Amino acid sequence: MKMNRTCRSSTSAVGGPGAPRAGFFRNWRASLRRAAPLLAAFSLLLSACAKKPPTLHVFIWSDYIKPELVSAFEALNGCKVVMDYYDSNESMYAKLKAGGGGYDVVFPSSYMVNIMQAQGMLRPLDHTLLPNLAHLDPSANRFTMDTNHAFSIPYMLGSSGIGYLAGKVPDFQPTWHMFESPDYKGRMTLMNDYRETIGAALKALGYSLNTLNTNELAAARDLIITWKANIAKFESEQYKNGLVSSEFFVVHGYSGDIMQIMEENEDIMYVVPEEGTSVALDEVAILKDAPQPELAHAFLNYLHQPEVAAQNIEFVYYLCPNLPAYDLVSEEVRNDPAVFLPQEIMDRSEVVWDLGENNALYSRIWDEVKGAE
Amino acid sequence: MSSTTLPGNNLARLNRRRRLQEWLVTLPSFIWLLAFFLVPTLIVLAITFKPVEPPYGNIGPGWTLATLHSLANPNYPAIIWRTVWVSLIATILCMLIAIPFGYYMARAPQSRKSLLVILVMLPFWTSFLIRIFAWKILLHPEGYLHKFLRLLGLIQEGDLLLYNTGAVLLVLVYTYLPFAILPVYAAAEKFDFALCEAAQDLGCNRLSAFVRIFLPGIQRALVTAALVVFIPALGSYVIPDIVGGNASEMIGNKIAQRIFVDRNLPHASGLAALLALSTVIPMLFILAIQRQQARAPAPRRNRSTP
Repeated sequence: MKMNRTCRSSTSAVGGPGAPRAGFFRNWRASLRRAAPLLAAFSLLLSACAKKPPTLHVFIWSDYIKPELVSAFEALNGCKVVMDYYDSNESMYAKLKAGGGGYDVVFPSSYMVNIMQAQGMLRPLDHTLLPNLAHLDPSANRFTMDTNHAFSIPYMLGSSGIGYLAGKVPDFQPTWHMFESPDYKGRMTLMNDYRETIGAALKALGYSLNTLNTNELAAARDLIITWKANIAKFESEQYKNGLVSSEFFVVHGYSGDIMQIMEENEDIMYVVPEEGTSVALDEVAILKDAPQPELAHAFLNYLHQPEVAAQNIEFVYYLCPNLPAYDLVSEEVRNDPAVFLPQEIMDRSEVVWDLGENNALYSRIWDEVKGAE
Repeated sequence: MSSTTLPGNNLARLNRRRRLQEWLVTLPSFIWLLAFFLVPTLIVLAITFKPVEPPYGNIGPGWTLATLHSLANPNYPAIIWRTVWVSLIATILCMLIAIPFGYYMARAPQSRKSLLVILVMLPFWTSFLIRIFAWKILLHPEGYLHKFLRLLGLIQEGDLLLYNTGAVLLVLVYTYLPFAILPVYAAAEKFDFALCEAAQDLGCNRLSAFVRIFLPGIQRALVTAALVVFIPALGSYVIPDIVGGNASEMIGNKIAQRIFVDRNLPHASGLAALLALSTVIPMLFILAIQRQQARAPAPRRNRSTP
């Protein structure tokens, strides 16, 4: 009170210079009053940040999970899921190796699980947090080396095979030797992936697609060179558009990719050649430096809830090896030989394993195929 | 005495200042090129001499010459040869279109000139990748162009316009044509066409005036235009990947395979270094020719003066 009065008297005593100062105070107060709601909003934002829901960072192949299932997981756990996508195991590995951190969950193929595990990039799984492991189809274990699921759980099983247009290829036969048919010259594609395409030729000849036998590889090379004369190009991506738009009639591709484009062109069919093919098992794992390991475990467990797995199978058209889910999918999908491979073809099929230094054998064969006139 | 030395001193100081200013002006681009061109190129060159670490394509410690030996791959000469001749033909085609077009643009009335410049630049408003995909649609075997050419009887039902070296050439020329037109146009616009008229007065016909007066007059721009097409064409990867077939692979595609599939960074670096060297050699060659010509013109002028 007293201070106030002295203050006031002093300002009045100084006169001129005092007026703007008082004005400043008045303005300051007024602007504070005006800014009050803004400040309130800001502090609310700050507190919201402080109580931000936990965020799970998922690094996954594109179109590999039903988006509604992700939203349901968010609602269930009061968290946010941020998804990032990759198009090959190699690019995923390269990004993580280069220090692209911050991810919790990744979906490496089984051969890549070995590599990442050997490099100490994966976190051991806590099975007490994964009760749904009980639902796993044990037959999928043939396609992984991590059979105890110490670091990874099988997520989706797919095959590579042949997609074709039934209307354009009336004499289609379910065999790799279709690529020898000169009738469709320039309208066929093989994958631009040496393990897949050399693997297809090895299977056509009745050999293992992980062979290290140079005679078998040479025979496969000669077979692909005869195929090469009939194909438009080696293509691992654009075959989907090509098949939809009738640019290509017969394409070598992945089951899920071709089944997803069937909705766009009813003429498209998918077949796994009777000689067998490559089967890919993509697994789901938690990274060693995952910021949210518990939430990541919850996510892995969620993916193997039977109803979730069933919905996912119907969305991506790959097979989630989850036994109770098999009874929950629609009759149509259950009887689709492209999703549920017939047992005898399954028996003739193999996983493409990483051959380490012996990859160079395949790389050399591929150079010879590409260089052949 | 002081009055005679002062202007000289001033001149020297002025020169020094001008040189300093030139330095300051070029410094940003110099630093840019140093940081984002020279240093990365040297790193690529250095990786060539690094070993591949076994587990998964990491770059190992130490130094090795193994990559240089592995570059002697029997499949490479054919690919390198294809890369060079495809790039050369693309450059020649671009020049054959760009020279008359640049000439026409420079001679056009002012209003049409700006319209033509806009038309040349317009494609850049769309992504490069989308324009290549557009070619896939244009040349599609069920597309209108294919149907039209079939109607004219120029091609058969089974003929393909895509996935061959011709398609790669077509799209290369399409992509790099603006880069060839612009320098030709810029030089042609500064060119004094009265010289051509003078030549015609002295007995040249229009064509020989064009060849003997106009073309030597814009010589530098022609070299720039050719290099600006040839060098990126040598390194093209996306175009042969998208519209090329199984026999139109270029060196860029091989480098991509070594990185993405084989995971052999030293080998890819070796190929990239080879490519970089092969672009430097024609440039040095042209630079040498230009320097020689800069020294040469004196006798020619003597001949023409009397």
